[in-house]
Amino acid sequence: MNIPIKMIGIATTIFWVFLIAFSVSAAFSAKDIQFNFGDPQTGMTADNELFFSLPIAIANRGFYSIGDFNVTSKASDMNGNEIARGASFVSIIRPGEEITMFHNITLDINEILQGDRNYLFNDTDLRIHEAVGLSLATIIPVQASGNFTLPWGAPLYNFMLGNPTYSPYNATHFRVNVPISFENHAFFDLTGSLQIHMYNDRNTRIGDGQTNIETAQHTGYNGNIEFYISIVNAITPGTSPEGHFDVYLFSPLFNYGPWVIPYG
Amino acid sequence: MDDKTKSSRRSFRDFAFKALKAAIKAIIVYVAYFFVWSFLSPLSELIPGIQQMMETFVIVYIVLMILGDLTSGTIYQHFFSAAKALFVIGYLMLSLNGGLFGITFENISLMIDLRVFMLIAMILGLLGLAKSVLQAIDFMNQKAELPLR
Repeated sequence: MNIPIKMIGIATTIFWVFLIAFSVSAAFSAKDIQFNFGDPQTGMTADNELFFSLPIAIANRGFYSIGDFNVTSKASDMNGNEIARGASFVSIIRPGEEITMFHNITLDINEILQGDRNYLFNDTDLRIHEAVGLSLATIIPVQASGNFTLPWGAPLYNFMLGNPTYSPYNATHFRVNVPISFENHAFFDLTGSLQIHMYNDRNTRIGDGQTNIETAQHTGYNGNIEFYISIVNAITPGTSPEGHFDVYLFSPLFNYGPWVIPYG
Repeated sequence: MDDKTKSSRRSFRDFAFKALKAAIKAIIVYVAYFFVWSFLSPLSELIPGIQQMMETFVIVYIVLMILGDLTSGTIYQHFFSAAKALFVIGYLMLSLNGGLFGITFENISLMIDLRVFMLIAMILGLLGLAKSVLQAIDFMNQKAELPLR
């Protein structure tokens, strides 16, 4: 009986030594894993979606391989509705290996604006959930996650159409001038075309105007749209001109409209 | 009188030998702990309280080991050996929170899944417990066999 018991003792001791040595060396080598985050790049995909690309450099200077390295990002609005998601994955990073991966997130602004037009006109915050996971020595899963808020700048912040001014153009038409102003608080440049349809108080469309806009991020825009309307349709005799504009914005990133703005 | 004196001297010498053996083993375990801790010390910045957790474990383990050595040759040696194995299992389960070890600082949470490690440690702990039980049975068997000789 003594020999089998001793053998159990010896085997247990050997396994304990292996387990402790492996655990200690895995924990020790974890400190030799280095992560470096590069400058995020933004651009547009072929589908006219905005993308962020974050370069992540991983240097594994530890003793063991890193398995299942993954980064997941989720952006949601303040009500918790998901608006964008991105995930990146590297199956294995061997000891001594240095790799650079790109963590990409695409943002369909058109879809976001369909859900809530406030993103177009009001600055707000987005909730970002970031999770980074890996398997130390390919068998010990480790995950770090955090929640952050990211300010969202409205591309048409404080958008205003001024009161139209009329000047005679010829015997049958007025020239109408409508001032436009807004501030582009977004992190992207806003280019595109702004169209307005003018309706009189009888809800008859009396004129259309269009202007191209090109506003760099974090700058303001002041301009105007000029177009011509028939004298006959413009004003109900004996009243001041009033009605509404239908405003449309067409840009490579998103289209929006109609947005009804009364005048007069 | 002489036999009694000789017997008490022998007992004292045996006990001194056991105490010396226990002290040497305790020193070896504590030195091993220091050696292991020198590798794990960077973790103390990341996981506050890990040093205290490990020290408590090592102290209780050494105390049980010393008691086991001092009582060697008696059935109590096997009780302490079994207690040591149970303590390893229980302490690992409690301190590792069932294998899912999580810490949070500011708004970042870190989760380490040590279930595989814990499973292996549990199996080894159970093997240690089984060994203690078998040793106790063997010890009782030998005691029972003596009068027959």
